[in-house]
Amino acid sequence: MNKLTLLFTGIFLTFGSAWIGLVAYPVANLAHMEALPDEETGGLLPPTQSGLAVAGQKVYAANGCMECHTQQVRPDPLTADIAKQLGKRQTVPRDEIRDRTAFLGEYRIGQDLSNFGARETDAAAIHRHLYSPKSVTPWSNMPSYSYLYEYRKIVSQPSAHALQGLTGPRAPKPGYEVVPTQQAEALVAYLLSLNQNYPLPESPEPTAK
Amino acid sequence: MSNDQSSQPDTLNSAERATIDASVAAPVILFFGTAIFWLLFGSVFELISAIKLVWPSFLDGFGLLTYGRTSIVSINALAYGWATPAAIGIGLWLTARLCRVQLDRTKILIAAGIIWNIGTFIGVAGILIGDNTSISHLNFPGYSTHILLLSFVLIAIWAIVTFNQRQSGPLYVSQWFLVAGFFSFPWLFATASQLLIWKPLQASAQPAIAAWFAGGFFNLWLAPMGLAAAFYLIPKTIGRSISSQHLSLLAFWSILLFGAWSGTSRLIGGPLPAWMVSVGVAASVMMIIPALAVAINLHLTLDGHYAPMSWSPALRFTITGVSMLVFTWVLTAINSLPAVNAVTNFSEITRALNLLGYYGFFSMTAFGAIYYILPRLTGKEWPSSCLISWHFWLATTGVLLGVTVLILGGLIQGFALQDIGVTFRSSMDFIFPFRFVAALAALLIVGANLAFALVFAGLSWSLRRTGTAPALIAVREENSQEPVAV
Repeated sequence: MNKLTLLFTGIFLTFGSAWIGLVAYPVANLAHMEALPDEETGGLLPPTQSGLAVAGQKVYAANGCMECHTQQVRPDPLTADIAKQLGKRQTVPRDEIRDRTAFLGEYRIGQDLSNFGARETDAAAIHRHLYSPKSVTPWSNMPSYSYLYEYRKIVSQPSAHALQGLTGPRAPKPGYEVVPTQQAEALVAYLLSLNQNYPLPESPEPTAK
Repeated sequence: MSNDQSSQPDTLNSAERATIDASVAAPVILFFGTAIFWLLFGSVFELISAIKLVWPSFLDGFGLLTYGRTSIVSINALAYGWATPAAIGIGLWLTARLCRVQLDRTKILIAAGIIWNIGTFIGVAGILIGDNTSISHLNFPGYSTHILLLSFVLIAIWAIVTFNQRQSGPLYVSQWFLVAGFFSFPWLFATASQLLIWKPLQASAQPAIAAWFAGGFFNLWLAPMGLAAAFYLIPKTIGRSISSQHLSLLAFWSILLFGAWSGTSRLIGGPLPAWMVSVGVAASVMMIIPALAVAINLHLTLDGHYAPMSWSPALRFTITGVSMLVFTWVLTAINSLPAVNAVTNFSEITRALNLLGYYGFFSMTAFGAIYYILPRLTGKEWPSSCLISWHFWLATTGVLLGVTVLILGGLIQGFALQDIGVTFRSSMDFIFPFRFVAALAALLIVGANLAFALVFAGLSWSLRRTGTAPALIAVREENSQEPVAV
């Protein structure tokens, strides 16, 4: 009896069993989900994302936003996610189909963002927060993403895209302005698109108690 | 495998050992040396991230050093720059010794070591310039993971050839773990890279695979390699056989089976089929079996022979490391119970368990193995027992302090996150003092790694002075089966 063969076969079978269950099964059953028709509007559920929002996913990944923000609402009796109004229903696989990567996250150092676009609809406010978080929310421990913005001298006309109402140490001096780069615009478009407040049959909203 | 002979690591005489050791010396020293560089690099980034959590304006406003990048760089530099090469180095040396063969193809291994480090460097640079993939434990951009996989394929081919050339006889328990680790890592890494990075699947299928990878990276790669070292070093250092072959068998197969399925317990309530989470929870709870099997087996082996811990750095680090592995598995089992996880998930407890598993277990065990292996490869003693002592106490204090405060703070933070009456802001206020102490713990760990790097540098420096006697005093291993310098 060749012991190495026996050992190798055993390892192959145990490892392979989990590989079939946790890799092959999702590849076969979860990787080809389709959006459902929305009977009210004639659109799709989940709704399609704009090209800018898709570009924003890359910015979200590049800056490691997932290190501090989750994007998953867990079910109601188990956790308080829905009671704390992070979302109206549990996040399910079909919610992820518009993303290139599933940004589920492991830490809530900052707030959950699954439905950020439902809470915040003002792009200018998000830009101010990204540029200088502490000037908007003094107790925030979010880093500044000022490097996604261009701090420049106003030449002749101020830019129409320049951030308005900035306060605090990063606010522009007179004669200067802060203008979002393409990356910042994409990130904000992506953040605004985060909204799971649409019905999916596999994830009913829990009924009020 | 239940042969009496196989409870003894090997029966070589010292001349044979010396020849075998000499044949793997160059690649093993290469892997260890570069690993120690990345260890220091990664822990400095970990310290920067820990400071940023407490004081967000520290180094703020630079894209290169934003928290989301420094924290990911530290995790990946430690996983792929330090832990994996250290595991490979330990694995190569153990393979050569336990298969009782001299190696003549070390150029492949040296090439693999160089390629691996190029891949790690490109991966770290890729994260810093913004090509992070956002896949947990696999954040290196796709263009660097090809390079890493190529390097590992070279190593795997070498390992297969060596196992085929081995002198016949029963396989020793460390060899089972080596085969399992060298087999699992390329399968895990290639699957995850292909399906999540090179040609990413629709994101709805990704979470299960990412969780499978993250669980497998620890339980099927680092844990087997660390235990392979422990099951070799402990009997060797105290001059006794492993107490129970049956407990070794139980530990081995339960790690493989439950470890492979355990990953999805980190996604309780997450967007994947409920049965996957249930299986993950069951498997994570069942990891108590290997935890107990390893603990009881090694305790019975060591019973009455713990004394060499006071003078043998190899034994001291290894036993501390394996104890922390037992704690990691027990705490992970508790943390996987859905009622507990509902509170603790997304809190700093996740970070505490990572610190305990990756640093407390794997790094400590790898330190022990390196303290054992390098003097035998180089024929020189470690230059300073004082620095080794500093290394041990700083590392142990750092891990225990960090894990304790992150668990305590994580509990408070978790209850705040779960309580409808408590605002998010309060959860941040509650955790703040704990994060402050955790940053101090990160500083202690940097100090420990610095001490280790200095000892290693001292040993390398003494190598150049040919013809002199072994440098300075060494920590004597009086009870060892082997003479310290072969």
